Amino acid sequence: MKKKILPYLLLTPMILIMGVLVFYPIIATFSYSLKKWKLTAPGDIRFIGIKNYQDILQSDSFWYSMQNTIFILLFVVVFTTIVGCLVAAFLKIDVKWSGLLLALAILPWALPPFVNGILWKFVFFSGYGFLNKLLLGIGFISQPIEFLGGRWSLLLVISIVVVWRSVPFMALVCLAGRQSIPGELYEAAKIDGGSGWKIFRHITLPLMLPFVGVGLTSTSVTAINVFDEVVALSGYSDLGKNILMESYLTTFTFLDFGKGSAMTYIVMLFALILGIFYLRSLNKEVEY
Amino acid sequence: MKKRWVSALLVFSMSIALVAGCAGNADKKDSAGGTKTEGDKITFMVPDWGVPTDEQLASFTEETGIEVEIAEVGWDDIREKLATAASAGKCAADVVEVDWSWVGEFYAADWLEPLEVSDEDKADMPTIETFTIDDKVLAMPYANDYRLAYYNTEQFAKAGITKEPQTWDDVLEACRALKSTGTVDHPFAIALNAEEKTSTCLMWLAYTMNGVVWNEDGRFNKESVLEALKYMETLINEELVAPEDKTSSGMDAYMRICGGTASFLTGPTSFVSRSQNEELCSVVGQIQPILVPGKEGKAAQTMPLPEAIGVNKLSENKEAAKKFVEWYTSADMQKQLNKTNSAIPTRNSVLEELINDGTIQNSGAMLEQAKIVSSPFPNGVPSYYAQMSSAMYNAINKMALGELNAEQAYDEMASALEELINE
Repeated sequence: MKKKILPYLLLTPMILIMGVLVFYPIIATFSYSLKKWKLTAPGDIRFIGIKNYQDILQSDSFWYSMQNTIFILLFVVVFTTIVGCLVAAFLKIDVKWSGLLLALAILPWALPPFVNGILWKFVFFSGYGFLNKLLLGIGFISQPIEFLGGRWSLLLVISIVVVWRSVPFMALVCLAGRQSIPGELYEAAKIDGGSGWKIFRHITLPLMLPFVGVGLTSTSVTAINVFDEVVALSGYSDLGKNILMESYLTTFTFLDFGKGSAMTYIVMLFALILGIFYLRSLNKEVEY
Repeated sequence: MKKRWVSALLVFSMSIALVAGCAGNADKKDSAGGTKTEGDKITFMVPDWGVPTDEQLASFTEETGIEVEIAEVGWDDIREKLATAASAGKCAADVVEVDWSWVGEFYAADWLEPLEVSDEDKADMPTIETFTIDDKVLAMPYANDYRLAYYNTEQFAKAGITKEPQTWDDVLEACRALKSTGTVDHPFAIALNAEEKTSTCLMWLAYTMNGVVWNEDGRFNKESVLEALKYMETLINEELVAPEDKTSSGMDAYMRICGGTASFLTGPTSFVSRSQNEELCSVVGQIQPILVPGKEGKAAQTMPLPEAIGVNKLSENKEAAKKFVEWYTSADMQKQLNKTNSAIPTRNSVLEELINDGTIQNSGAMLEQAKIVSSPFPNGVPSYYAQMSSAMYNAINKMALGELNAEQAYDEMASALEELINE
């Protein structure tokens, strides 16, 4: 009897913590999302079913934000993966300064996202930004480019900033994955006459996929949830807003907690679907 | 056996810690969820520039027996904290900062306790009108701000302009002359980024041009707003504003006058002191504060953008909170706050005294302008202000970036406002 109780007893604190800090807010947010609940109309709080979701899905503003989110997501995932893997490959080379290089590679990851955004704003700023100064200085352009003044150029800048912050984690995960592959496998493959490409395709790639999967999941969540960098680069402008900012504005600026909660759920579902997709596609049994 | 005891002990201590954590401050809450003020103790949530000194607070406590706990919170975060607390029926603080732009929604949300203000005080503080809705005074202004015009006298003279601009047409012609003579490339400083300051720029421009921004029904006065938008469009198309003003913060755009890269600004009253601070201004002695131009002559009114403090309706200690508000916005405290926090007094009598005794220097038309402040909102700041302002600054920003023309920008903001009114 004692043996049966003890495991549950040991789990109790964690269940309580998870229940209070994770599951309760998730359930409460869902219940808010089914209500008309605007703080500026305290006398008109009522259950309205899925109307908030319908309104959001019919709103042009939401789909505009969704397009921006997808642009950032695709750019960030593709470039973070490519650059992260390349950085990992360089870090794998054993040189005298490996430790220092590794520390330098991690640096962007350690920066607070808002600081990251501010730093890059100095680079891309239209008037006296570093890049404009550089391009003007070498005579490449005659007028400053308004990098932050157009929708797509702004999204490109936001994506580059997020890639810069996400690459270190991806590189670390890939490096860990690469280092976990036993050297014997490569030796055996060489004895069997395997060439460089074949070894990469049949050993390195499949064995690293679960690690890349972890990196991809984290990168995707980062790309969907990017907020600080957008605010630092373009404020609360419509131009570069993503669905997280749309959710923030609805909830805390326009004080519409009902619609804001529904939007939060949509963001969460979007991230969840991506997470499941990655885990199912990349966490498969490996044959080599 | 020993292992089991250790495990059980760990589980017990973690559970206790968890319960203790969840129950933190429980003794301070009352049954309604409000903050229970022990005896006469109140909390005051305010941004850094409004925090009174320890000596000032001590004198208040000595005078009234009320203790004040300061919650210094970033300006942006105050509204969010209040909203989050209020949504759970909690009192974030007994006395809270109330920006002019929040008052409509705070009133609609029923977060503020109406205050009793004497007619004498009302007459001395014209900006109180902004915080009055349905004849109820919801907050008392403590830091004054209203739109005042500034121009660089030396740059104007260099471009051959000897007279101070009287009308908006004069300003436009002066800017053209400043640009064509090569005196200043982008002489007009104005906020064009997608942020609150850009909305207020359109408001004061339309208001000083035509004396009206919104009609009685809450909709835009098309003629006035469109005229202001077209004026802005001209400034943008003729490159009289700097390209970076479209994406940099409104304050950065305003600060161009202190950097000497702009010659004309209609901006905050804080530029009276900024323009004399050698650390902030490279053209000290050249900037003159003047009355805001209008259509036929000087504008008959200007827009106030003050900050106030109000009493939280969920406060358990409303009387003590009201006493604090009265003390904090008294004439004596306004003088002290000007000295310690550089706050511009909201009482015209105090402002006049500080200008006359030389405390506020190079004030120019500051006092004269303070006497003609008037709210552009015919029915008070609306509860949907934040959404309306967001629609306004995004439309103006799109116009600045060349995505919309003035008519399209107007249509975009007018249709957003129509939706909000119908909602």
